[in-house]
Amino acid sequence: MTILEVKELRKSYGPPARVLRGVNLTVEQGEFLGIIGMSGAGKSTLLRCINRLIEPTSGEILIPRSVFISDADGLRVDVCKLGLGGLRLLRRRVGMIFQQFNIVKRLSVIDNVLAGGLGYQPTWRSCLRFFSPTERRHALLNLKRVGLLDHAYKRADELSGGEQQRVAIARVLMQNPAIILADEPVSNLDPKLSRAVLDILKKICIEDGITALVSLHTLDLTRQYADRILGLREGRVYFDAPTLAWSEEMVERIYEGSGSETAR
Amino acid sequence: MVGPSRPKRDGSEPDLLGEVPQPPRRRLRSALFLLLLLFVLGWALEGAKLRPGELFYGIPEIAMTIGRMLPPDFTKVTDSKSYYFPESLSPSELFLPFPVPEDKARLRQRWWDNTFPQTVVGATVETIQMALAGTFLALVVAFPVGFLAARNTSPHAAIYYGTRLVLNFLRTIPDLALGLVFVAAVGLGAFAGTIALFVHTTTVLGKLLSESVENIDEGVVEAIRATGAGYGQILAFAVLPQILPDVISFTLYRLETNIRAASVLGLIGAGGIGYLMNTSFRTFQYQEASAIVLVLILLVMVVDYASYRLRQLVV
Repeated sequence: MTILEVKELRKSYGPPARVLRGVNLTVEQGEFLGIIGMSGAGKSTLLRCINRLIEPTSGEILIPRSVFISDADGLRVDVCKLGLGGLRLLRRRVGMIFQQFNIVKRLSVIDNVLAGGLGYQPTWRSCLRFFSPTERRHALLNLKRVGLLDHAYKRADELSGGEQQRVAIARVLMQNPAIILADEPVSNLDPKLSRAVLDILKKICIEDGITALVSLHTLDLTRQYADRILGLREGRVYFDAPTLAWSEEMVERIYEGSGSETAR
Repeated sequence: MVGPSRPKRDGSEPDLLGEVPQPPRRRLRSALFLLLLLFVLGWALEGAKLRPGELFYGIPEIAMTIGRMLPPDFTKVTDSKSYYFPESLSPSELFLPFPVPEDKARLRQRWWDNTFPQTVVGATVETIQMALAGTFLALVVAFPVGFLAARNTSPHAAIYYGTRLVLNFLRTIPDLALGLVFVAAVGLGAFAGTIALFVHTTTVLGKLLSESVENIDEGVVEAIRATGAGYGQILAFAVLPQILPDVISFTLYRLETNIRAASVLGLIGAGGIGYLMNTSFRTFQYQEASAIVLVLILLVMVVDYASYRLRQLVV
């Protein structure tokens, strides 16, 4: 089943700053899609357009209604046209993981994980940080899945970078996500921790049948984890091929050219 | 022009740098700026009517005034006569909140309402109460206002600019001026002073909190928004935990400031210990006045220390 189709997606911050210049993309359910490209190629913008943390300028993002509305048929809706209520329903099923982890450092680990379920809870109750025993159990279970059960009641800033990113994964799991968007999730971690975090992410995606779109800064990691790799360059999809089909030449053409940055 | 500090090149050293960019010269501008500064300073000193000579010859007078204040006369604090305890009431009837016959209850009420606030201890307690009440009420109002006046959490640009404008305007009014307005409006006493503190503190706290909200890590907000959380949930989970240390710290700081402000407000009859101090000075009871000043200093020190410990505890 096609879970996500992006058509002619454009995003510009004023005429000179065109970040996305017509991105086309289809993702099947359960795929682990790697996204590579130089800084400024539009990786972050593309991921943030999918859950509309950034408003696209034009284009379509099609997702089956059944993904986020339980009694829906298989018809697809355009994410760009969703109202505020519909958008919140969608965001519940689309988890996001960030380069900076973006967990609340002054809250406990378990409170951070519980925050992932906010979309499912009534406002008045969750604003007082009140959660039911079922929700707490669920949070502890997800912490166990990322191997942090022992740290549940520590303050989040007591944890190391790799552990903080695992807290972020547990938070995403609270959303019961159909899709995970990960924006350079391991750029701030050393290679060993990077592998540990990606191992967990990949394992969870396979177990739960979650579709993942993961932008990564190193080619090695992308090759190791992704089923398919999308190469972005200057706001366009330059190459889109299964991991095994990627050649050295294709990689070079993604990273070559205008910028002075070199491929890593 | 070659300054003496610049190293001289001799032929033996190869010039690796070649033509070196020189820092821009701004000497003329600096000199003009200095001149302007001196001029403004001179103008200010002239206007301030400084007469160091008179100050010098006034030293004996200052010494005499201080001499008249010494030793501090604590009788108003320690002497039970100055508290005008009602003779028909026993201490337990007066101080403990147990039911007493109606006539005694009326007497007790009158003492607590009218007599006690006129004593040094009573006025000190009133000062603390004014500062606490004014600060607390201000926090209750400033807390939501802070979100409205912060660019990143304000629901609409118009609300953002509107609240900023009102806060900035009200903040320019000194609390003493506010005190005069409210004394005229609601009459002499602690109520007027408390509202003055409340209004002024709201504007200051609102501004400080809005700046604190604007300085939060936006990434966390983005992450909570991405879970499908609504506006209130984003505030509660992403914003509040980040600004909480500032909220506590700013509030305690304002409490310290307000203790001082509440003491001064007494000068215009808006309640608190300042009124007693003023009366003592005006009636040339200098020794009594110095005792009150000492009580005030002690009070401020105690509050400063208490809030310092409290801040350590929570932040």
